Amino acid sequence: MGDGKQTRNEEFQSFVVGRWPRLMRTAFLLTGEQHAAEDLVQSTLEQVYVAWRRVGGADDPEAYVRRVMINAHARRHRRRLREFLAPKDDSGLVREVADTGDRIAQADDRSALLEALARLPARQREAVVLRYWEDLTETQTAEAMGCSVGTVKSNAAKGIAKLRAIPGLADMVTHGGRK
Amino acid sequence: MSADRENHDMTQTDIALLLADAADGVEIGIAPVQAVIRGGRRRRARRWAVAAATTLVLAGSTGATLAFAGLPGGRADRGTPTAPGPASAEERHVYRPQRTELARGTEHGRQWRVWVEVWGAPRDAREADRQFAAMKRTGVRPAVDKAADLVGKTSYFSMRSYGDGRSLVVMFDTHQRTDRLTGTDLMAAAVSLEEVGPTAPERLVVGHVAKSAREVTCRWKDGRSTVARPAGSASAAQDATALIRPVAGYPGGNWFVCLAPEGTVYEDAHVTR
Repeated sequence: MGDGKQTRNEEFQSFVVGRWPRLMRTAFLLTGEQHAAEDLVQSTLEQVYVAWRRVGGADDPEAYVRRVMINAHARRHRRRLREFLAPKDDSGLVREVADTGDRIAQADDRSALLEALARLPARQREAVVLRYWEDLTETQTAEAMGCSVGTVKSNAAKGIAKLRAIPGLADMVTHGGRK
Repeated sequence: MSADRENHDMTQTDIALLLADAADGVEIGIAPVQAVIRGGRRRRARRWAVAAATTLVLAGSTGATLAFAGLPGGRADRGTPTAPGPASAEERHVYRPQRTELARGTEHGRQWRVWVEVWGAPRDAREADRQFAAMKRTGVRPAVDKAADLVGKTSYFSMRSYGDGRSLVVMFDTHQRTDRLTGTDLMAAAVSLEEVGPTAPERLVVGHVAKSAREVTCRWKDGRSTVARPAGSASAAQDATALIRPVAGYPGGNWFVCLAPEGTVYEDAHVTR
């Protein structure tokens, strides 16, 4: 077994190193918080390790990883860790969207976007992140979320509509906060 | 459209750009490769034990009433009979599993048994429905959400009984393709011999290893250990606290059982030869 197992381990290590940055960014958008993102990616990759013998040789290991991550995210959400997902200040209360007039620092802009995302129901957030950050097709998104294409369309549309309805967020674009 | 409306209007491209910018806010850091691998190994080792502890599936039948069709040294050595072909659902063991008794013994005057049931893969939704119902009748629940998910998949359950008590599922899974274990690969779960509570002492170890494994060493918390070796054609009716056997219908590897001496519990298990 030695050689085969060694090769699989090396392949897995390369996979982790190569995918870590991208997975961290996606997890950050899903969770809205650094440590939660690290935790989500690490637990996702641990599950992938268990199935690596099958996954490593598959045509599209990325699809499997996305599915595991979205499942893990959904499970956490079902466990009512909503407070864990939403950024909070020291008071423990979810912050209001910042006054648009004061928004200069990019960090504040990011924070506002993350807050806006955190306010979306988990499925809408997943659909928005997978469609518009991961740039997946509706079919790929449906596979990752384990639902129909229609459900993806509906969740993404609702999520986008809610983001559009947040005045501060729209201003970020119109004030040139983004390139 | 008013100026205010224009200001608040975002295209999907804008959303994508906002997301990309927000994603840049995360600190990427160095991928914790070794921590991931350690965590993965722990998960793999715990997978079955956790499944047993959290589900504590109690089967309806008792050890005393079971009929063991797949005896070691017999059909078990011939591998899975579920290859595509004209065989009927009954011949493929879709509605009645193949049972292989792994080990049995007596403690405090009560008999314990360990066995594995392998259910053949249903070929369509109708067969899957019937199999799901048959499993339910025998008190086991497969690792799927609904009957339709059984199509094309083999299910197995390793179980133990103690005295006249109800049987306990130790490890179970439902999968399309059985992973063949190789080298020193090992998957195992430890449960109590006589109780079903999650805090009961875990003395009974059940697991599977590669067909090539000649020896499994189970270590106990008190430092002692027990070595399981292939049982050959010996009947399970012969008392044994440690052995390795093939299982009828299960091509992924051989199964082993170790029982800890009274007063100690499971520490770990490894293929040692």
